[in-house]
Amino acid sequence: MRITPEQLLDDFVDRWTRGEPLAVDELLSRAGPQADELADLIDAFLERAPRREPTADAIAFVRSLDAPPLLRARQARKLKLDDIVAGLVEKLGLPENAREKVRRYYQELELGQLDPADVTASVWVALAGLLGRDAKGLAGVQPTAVSAPAMYRDADYANDLPEGALTMSLVAGLEVGPDEVDRLFGVTSSD
Amino acid sequence: MPGLTHSSMRDARDAEDNRLLENGEIDLLPAGWVETIDSRCVTKMRGPVGHDVAQVVCLRLWRELKDGKHRDGRWPFRVIVHQVIGYVCAGWYEKGWDEDPLIEIDSPTGDDFTSDVELQLTLEEFVVTLPPGDGEVARLWLLEGLEADQIAERLGKEPNAVYQARFRINTRLREWLES
Repeated sequence: MRITPEQLLDDFVDRWTRGEPLAVDELLSRAGPQADELADLIDAFLERAPRREPTADAIAFVRSLDAPPLLRARQARKLKLDDIVAGLVEKLGLPENAREKVRRYYQELELGQLDPADVTASVWVALAGLLGRDAKGLAGVQPTAVSAPAMYRDADYANDLPEGALTMSLVAGLEVGPDEVDRLFGVTSSD
Repeated sequence: MPGLTHSSMRDARDAEDNRLLENGEIDLLPAGWVETIDSRCVTKMRGPVGHDVAQVVCLRLWRELKDGKHRDGRWPFRVIVHQVIGYVCAGWYEKGWDEDPLIEIDSPTGDDFTSDVELQLTLEEFVVTLPPGDGEVARLWLLEGLEADQIAERLGKEPNAVYQARFRINTRLREWLES
C-alpha cells in the first residue's frame, strides 16, 4: 500500500513534537513521486513552527563556522586528517610512501594556503567521495562551464613517471623535482 | 521549557533570541535554528543539496551576526532566518548570486522583506480553526506534544478516537499549510 503525504506529514509532526531528529531526506525519499507535495507541506509547517532547543551538535556546528569550509566538511563527517590522507592515497592510486606529502598538501589546501585552482580534477573527485560534498566548491573554485572528466589514477603509479623518478622522489624520499603528488595538487616546486 | 505550549514557546523563543542577541551570545542564537534551516533547505531544494545550501545560510547568518547586524531586535530573529533561507535557496543556481549583499532587512526601507514571511501564522491559530473536539486533540498533540495514548487518557477517550481525530486534523492541517 502506497504511503500518502498526509501519513508522512503525520510522521514528521510526531518527530517534531517529540524532539526527535527530523530526517527530512528520508521522509522525502519515502514519499516517492509525491515528494514535492510532502516537501511543500513540511516547509510550510517549519515556517510556522517555533524552533526547538539547540542540540550540542548544532552549537558545535555554529562554533565551527569560522573554520575554512573544507575543514568544516571534514569535521562534519567526523574524519581525521589521517582518514582523508589514507582515502586520497587509496583513491588516487598513490604508493604508501606518498602519504606525508599528500598530508602536507591537503592540509595546505584545507587551510587555504594552496591554490585550489591548480588542483587536478582527480583530487576533487576523490575528495567529494570522502567528504560527501562538492569539495571543489567548498574550496572556492568557481565551476567551469565544461568540466574535464575526472580521472582516477591506476595503481601502476610508476608507469607514467620518468624512469628512476619513483626511486628518487618517493621511495628514497628525495624530492628532486615535481612528482605525481605535486602534479595532482598543482604544485610546481617542492619547496 | 517544560509547561509551555508550542505557541507560547514561540513567543518565548523570540524573547530568548532577543536576549541572546542583546548579550552577544551569537553562537547560541543560530544554533537553535540549525535543524529548521537544514530541514527547510532540503525541502525547498528537493534533495541533499539542501544540506550544502543550509550551510551557506548558517554561514551567512553567522557572518551578519558577527558584523553586529540585527542587534536592534527590530525583527524577531526567526523572521531573519526564514528570509535568509528563502533568499539563499532562490538564488542557489544563479551565477554570482552570493556576490550580492543580502537584502538590507535592517534598513528603514526594508519593510517589504516580510511580505513572504508569515509573521503571524502559528500553530495555535490553526488549532482554533478546528471544531472543539478535534481542536482539543490538536492542542494537546501539536501545542503540548502529547502522544496519542496520553491525549486519550487526558480527554477520557479511547485511543482509537484520538487516532481518528488526528486523521481529520491532518486533512485540515494540510489545507492550512497549503493556504
